[in-house]
Formats: sequence, structure tokens, C-alpha cells
Amino acid sequence: MQISLVVAVTVVAGVLTLLGLASTLARRQIGLVHLAGAGLLEGLLVVQAVVAGVAIAGGDAPADTPTFLGYLVGALLIPVAGVLWARTERTRWAGTVLAVAAAAIGVMVWRLLQLWEASGA
Amino acid sequence: MRDRSALGPAAESSDGGSGGPVRVLVVLYALFALAAGARAGVQLSTRFAEAPVAYLLSALAAVVYVVATVGLVRGGRGGRRTALAAILVELVGVLVVGTLSLADPAAFPDETVWSGYGRGYGYVPLLLPVLGLLLLRRGTAGRTS
Repeated sequence: MQISLVVAVTVVAGVLTLLGLASTLARRQIGLVHLAGAGLLEGLLVVQAVVAGVAIAGGDAPADTPTFLGYLVGALLIPVAGVLWARTERTRWAGTVLAVAAAAIGVMVWRLLQLWEASGA
Repeated sequence: MRDRSALGPAAESSDGGSGGPVRVLVVLYALFALAAGARAGVQLSTRFAEAPVAYLLSALAAVVYVVATVGLVRGGRGGRRTALAAILVELVGVLVVGTLSLADPAAFPDETVWSGYGRGYGYVPLLLPVLGLLLLRRGTAGRTS
């Protein structure tokens, strides 16, 4: 787990949250900007999962590995589910749907870092 | 206004039903179903003997969130009634578990989603049922009038 990756995820998740809220306020459905943001977020999460997976396979596992893996996999699923759910929503609340999903990622990634550092390694 | 069009096509208006704000609620409930379910799964499978009561409560919370999510997604009269029942159980659960966890911390050696009124989750577990009840009431009122 690298702090730079965690910060990058947080920034992208934060921007995506604001974009989602912006489209709700502008009475818009979600658009290309949101899809691009969610794609970037998912990409970063995949990189993070691979980095963490390689470290765990190399014996550098966090103390509470099952919980860590739960958050890691859960975080991968949320942007995908958020986009799918938001795209079928035709009202202005589509953006808020995506904003909630992105905000959850922003919180989860710090919880992941916390779990990782509890390894004492 | 180029950036506005990048924000997406114009929205359709939400007139009650299971769309609109209720869909945001669905996302929140789905997230907590995932969080509570994963937490209960890990706790029950790896260290059930340490705190069986707390871990079974985690599992109960997960079930309640799942039922509420399904009820909200299904919508209609039946779905709403299911969601309403789950949300009431949730409200009672978060208040009772929250109070007990503060009054008798020894009984809750490990955190549950509802410990300390959901402080481990930014108190969202406490706000969620209130928000849910308000939205469900609003939806029902909008349909009958």
C-alpha cells in the first residue's frame, strides 16, 4: 500500500463526488465526464489491488488479512455497481448515486491503508 | 456551456415511484449491506468465539440492510412495506445496540456496525433510517394526494 496511490484515489474519488453532485444540481443525468472519472477511479483501484496482492503473496500481509481483502475487493466492485446503477437512472439523482459510491471509495481507501499499516511490518 | 453538456443529458423529472431520491437511498443501503455483511462474514468465520453476541448482531444488521435494499429496489406497495419494516428494525437496532455498547462496553469487545450509534461509520447508520423513513413517507404522501 503506497500513500501516493491512496492520495490519488482520494483525489479522483473526491472530484467524482463533486461532479456527481454538480450534475444533480444542474438537473442533468450523468455524462461522459462521470464515466471517465469512474473509469480512472476503477483503474487506480485495480493497480492498488494488484500492488497489495503482490505484497501479500510475497509474505507482507496485514494483521487482519481477511478484513483487508474484504475492503480491497469491495472497493473494486463499488464504482462498477455505482456506474451501472446511475446509468439506468433518468432523473437528476443519477449523479448523487455516483457521488455516494465515489465518496464511499474515498473513505474505504483510508480504512484500507489503516488496516495495512496495522501489520507492523 | 460545454462542460454542462459533458455533465450529461437533461434529467427527467422524478415523480415518486422507486426512482429519484429513493435510488440514492438504495445505494446507501446497498453499501451498508456490503459493509455489514463483509464484516459479519469475517467476524463469524475467523473469531466467532471471541464475541458471539456482537458478531451475531453484525450479521443481523447485514440481513436488515439487505432486506431494506431489496424492498427499496422492488418498490411498489409490497416493496415499500418490506423496506419500512426493515428500516424500523434498523432504527431500533442502532438505538439499542448503540446505547448498550456505550453502557456496557465489555459486552461488545469488538465493533459492530451499530456500536456507539455507528460512530465507526461516521454516524451514517444512525442517519440512514431517519432519512429512509422521511423519503418513504414523502413518496407515499405524493402518491395518495
